[in-house]
Amino acid sequence: MTTLWDTTGSAVVKELAAQRRTGGAVLSGVALTLVVVADEGRVAEAEEAATAAAEQHPCRLLIVVRRQIDAPHPRLDAEVLIGGRLGPGEAVVMRMYGRLALHAESVVLPLLAADAPVVTWWHGPPPGRLATDALAVIADRRITDSSLADDQVAALHTRAEDYAPGDTDLAWTRSTPWRTTLTSALDSVAGRRGEAVRLRGGQVEGDPDNATARLLAGWVGARCGCDVPLVSATRRPGPSGVSAVVLQLDQDEQVRVEADRRGGAAITQPFRPDSTVALPDRQLGDLIGEELRRLDPDEPFADALEAATGVSGLSDRSPVREHVWVDPAQAAPSDGQMAPEVPADSVDSDEVALEGEHDTAERVP
Amino acid sequence: MITNPLRDPRDRRLPRVPEPCALVVFGITGDLARKKLLPAVYDLANRGLLPTNFALLGFARRDWGDEDFAELAREAAHKAARTPWREEVWDRLATSVRFVQGSFDDDNAFDQLAATLDELEGTHGIGGNAAFYLSIPPAMFPVVLKQMQRTGMADSTPERWRRVVVEKPFGHDLESSRQLNALVDSVFTAEDVFRIDHYLGKETVQNLMALRFANTLFEPIWNGHFVDSVQITMAEDVGIGGRAQFYEQTGAARDVLQNHLLQLLALTAMEEPVELSAEEIRTEKLKVLRAVSLPEDLSTFAVRGQYEQGWLAGQRATGYRQEEGVDPHSRTETYAAVRLGVETRRWAGVPFYLRTGKRLPRRVTEIALVFKRAPHLPFADTDTEELGNNQLVVRVQPDEGVTLKFGSKVPGSVMEVRDVSMDFLYGEQFTEASPEAYERLLLDVLLGDATLFPRNAEVEASWTVIDPLEQFWAGTTPQPYRAGEWGPRAADEMLAVEGRRWRRP
Repeated sequence: MTTLWDTTGSAVVKELAAQRRTGGAVLSGVALTLVVVADEGRVAEAEEAATAAAEQHPCRLLIVVRRQIDAPHPRLDAEVLIGGRLGPGEAVVMRMYGRLALHAESVVLPLLAADAPVVTWWHGPPPGRLATDALAVIADRRITDSSLADDQVAALHTRAEDYAPGDTDLAWTRSTPWRTTLTSALDSVAGRRGEAVRLRGGQVEGDPDNATARLLAGWVGARCGCDVPLVSATRRPGPSGVSAVVLQLDQDEQVRVEADRRGGAAITQPFRPDSTVALPDRQLGDLIGEELRRLDPDEPFADALEAATGVSGLSDRSPVREHVWVDPAQAAPSDGQMAPEVPADSVDSDEVALEGEHDTAERVP
Repeated sequence: MITNPLRDPRDRRLPRVPEPCALVVFGITGDLARKKLLPAVYDLANRGLLPTNFALLGFARRDWGDEDFAELAREAAHKAARTPWREEVWDRLATSVRFVQGSFDDDNAFDQLAATLDELEGTHGIGGNAAFYLSIPPAMFPVVLKQMQRTGMADSTPERWRRVVVEKPFGHDLESSRQLNALVDSVFTAEDVFRIDHYLGKETVQNLMALRFANTLFEPIWNGHFVDSVQITMAEDVGIGGRAQFYEQTGAARDVLQNHLLQLLALTAMEEPVELSAEEIRTEKLKVLRAVSLPEDLSTFAVRGQYEQGWLAGQRATGYRQEEGVDPHSRTETYAAVRLGVETRRWAGVPFYLRTGKRLPRRVTEIALVFKRAPHLPFADTDTEELGNNQLVVRVQPDEGVTLKFGSKVPGSVMEVRDVSMDFLYGEQFTEASPEAYERLLLDVLLGDATLFPRNAEVEASWTVIDPLEQFWAGTTPQPYRAGEWGPRAADEMLAVEGRRWRRP
């Protein structure tokens, strides 16, 4: 591992190449570049998750931490690792201070793995319009997480307004175990009947303020072509925000899946005894791992997002974004257009950043 | 037809989950069940890939209750599971674990088994579907299958499916495999029979198809115009372990050559299937197996060996004849190598060298395509002395991946070309995360997907290749080789007479 203090993008590129040459065969064959945008407060969490995901998908990991956008001197600190703390592959953690944070892509672009897809993941509040962050524009796939927002429903709405094919949200990823269980429950009904099942409607019980619960209701609604209400659950639901789902089928049948809050779900269906299946809450790393498995646009997500927010025509939008320059120094802080957003910790003073002290590359063994 | 409105072909996050069913394992106390099957069932449950209504039924002679069995199963699963252990997942699985005690000739025990299956329909809603895993010696098959026929357990109806999983060896020659197939097919219908060749469940073997049929780069040179020869190796560093009795009757050719190596050969040499479906892939594999030819001069091109004592990985290894339970004058081979041909337009004239052995220097399985040398080299003779044949190697295990070997200039002021290799390596971690072969195959059985299972006719075609070899070898003594060597001298000579040599894996 090498840490470069107050360095430049080209020094990072050189250092990565040098480590690759001397590091020996750690991992060969890179399928994609994962760019992670995180606040200083969440960077450890993001590192852990990205490392877990990198173990499933050989990738180059670039972690961007934007700090103190108001620091007088732009400055870049970088940590270059191959086969170390951040998994088997190549990883660079970059901390950017001052106006450099607004031009993060200038450091990131030369570090992208050649001709491989780019995935950008914001572990923190993403910009309201992704096009204002150049790191979104260079990405083939963009991962946001609406469940980190204070108002998850509003965040989901923002995502729908801003949606372009290739966008995805971890609130959606969190619904996969529920969707799998519901689908497999209907498979079982179809298997018993030996003919097609029709979905007449349904209801999701859970936390109405939870983005995952909203998307799940939206998904069921999009699949049956009817409105699926999300009603407040009597019990407090788990992290997925859902405590039970009821599906109304034709022939007057009903399937109910209820979380048992112990990593499982109880399924009640006609003509079969109740059963339980695993319905675990997954780690952040598993969620990112699932996202990296497919890099093409996720149409079912677009459908569910449309149904959950009422914004329409999502799949017809252009998958290409044009970068929109927004300078936070000129924008009024309250208009919600501030992007890239200044991390909360930038009010802290950092002497080095303020003084702009320069030193040479320092090697940490 | 989509019968489930929640299924969306565009939605590829949702995994394939089988219909409600039961898995019945005969010989649940055996090695395979404990080391592979039970952990695979737990891993499937942990990954959320088991159906909503599922039951696991064990059948063995031991006098056990459901609890004893659940305890054994827990221990076995805990020990060998690949996914993290979560007690709550096991607890849920444990509620659907049943044990039936009895011997295979005991009518009562099978009536009891049938009754338990019916009962599971009521308590666990398995929908009458069941897969029977015969983890028992083939000699027991007739008894067990007859019992299943008698109790009507084996009958698939439009309302329910019944499948059977058979482990190798699928017979010991063409005749016996025909009998075995006839027997299994008389009880189950042909499409309900799943023959497990666990090599086909490995990620790299499936990747072979992706490599060949998804890329433009390899297929144009994947033929006799460019390929000089193909070497398929499956080497083990271990000896025969505690399987002396089985091994004495089997030998390397029947144990490995007949199934794993010929299947790898079929996947390497087959034409592109019309679509990637079970039936089409099996059709193409069968065409290759039927086109396999044996050399006329078997004495040169078919070699078998037996290991003598030696040193392996810094430890003394005993010879085969000194192993416990082995006849001191045993003529069973622990090494087999053969030169086969594939009589098709694509492969005519290209030798396929297959070899397998025990107590070889390292455990490795790989498929190597050795390409012809360039027809003309514009370099001085001395420049290319170190240049060998280009090679494309699919490493099946360990270090799963692909290697491409080609010539490159040695840096310096003179033109000198030597071989270098370019590696694609799935990280160790990456393969950890992908499902284990048994897990994948078990899931496929429950889903009814037969893509990765050899068909009846393939097994018989493979025996047609092996039988003449065995006949030729009958009564001869295998060539000795030292434990820790790459096989007997004769195997090297087999390639040397045609100006080739084995690749050191």
